[in-house]
Amino acid sequence: MMVLFLGGSASGKSELAEDCAVALSAPSAFGSRRLYIATMQPFGEEARQRIERHRSLRAGKGFDSRDCYVDLSGTDTSGYDTVLLECMSNLTANEMYREGVGRPDWDGLADKICGDVSALREKVQNLVIVTNDVHSDGGGYDSETARYIGILGEINTRLAQQADAVVEAVCGIPVTHKGALPEGIGEGERKC
Amino acid sequence: MRLIVGGRASGKLGRVQALGYGMCDIYDGAQGLADEAFARPVLYNLQELVRDVMQNGGDPSALLQRIVEGGTQVVVCDEVGAGIVPVDRFERDWREAVGRLCCALAREAQIVERVCCGIPTVIKSDEA
Repeated sequence: MMVLFLGGSASGKSELAEDCAVALSAPSAFGSRRLYIATMQPFGEEARQRIERHRSLRAGKGFDSRDCYVDLSGTDTSGYDTVLLECMSNLTANEMYREGVGRPDWDGLADKICGDVSALREKVQNLVIVTNDVHSDGGGYDSETARYIGILGEINTRLAQQADAVVEAVCGIPVTHKGALPEGIGEGERKC
Repeated sequence: MRLIVGGRASGKLGRVQALGYGMCDIYDGAQGLADEAFARPVLYNLQELVRDVMQNGGDPSALLQRIVEGGTQVVVCDEVGAGIVPVDRFERDWREAVGRLCCALAREAQIVERVCCGIPTVIKSDEA
């Protein structure tokens, strides 16, 4: 199953996605079969604090963790049935500003990133993806930022087409736009 | 408690009035932090109250307890997180604080509504 979680900042999307990945992955006697792919680069104190906050949210949920800043398709997922990828907004920014990539390359970037996600999708039974809603605050951005919003929007739309379920997090509440979540997600107590 | 969220000017105030509340029932968070904020049935513009608390060096997450204990019936807040993360540190922290407070309020609320073009959609209801 492929599930896409979308939401604004501090909308509770990460926790919903984690719970979804836990519900989807089969219990195993051989340890964790859930892999968390982290895309945030630890630049600066604030990023480190965010990463730490996410780590503590995930603690006890049985995820192994691997960093992947670019070229998602190269991540080794062997032995895992469920992958939680967080998040498309960081991954897209990382790909846009990686060494050797310039504006002319941005034309094909949505294709490249969606291709990487498809390759990952082929390798695992369940893929849960977190992405950001950066599309509803009225604009007024410089052309480069507008371009980023456009590329991420295209990626989100294409992933939503591919996904079995698309869920928006609103105040920690799952609002389903497509398909259905595994039973019990978002119904219990949530910490945000 | 009922939590009503939605974008700016999405018709939230109209929804509050449709529920039977008048302007005298409403405390506007833009007026800043005061005891009065928790004494009226409706707390409106919660995001501005959060801003005021933060500008004065306070802890916005403490608003949760005051709202719950004060017995506010309806809390209204703009959704502010769905844009590019701001460069300005305060604006970034403010968005984060508003979002987290709304997640916490949604857990306490019996009903959560999201308003779009004046149309409310119930996204959580503890009522049968």
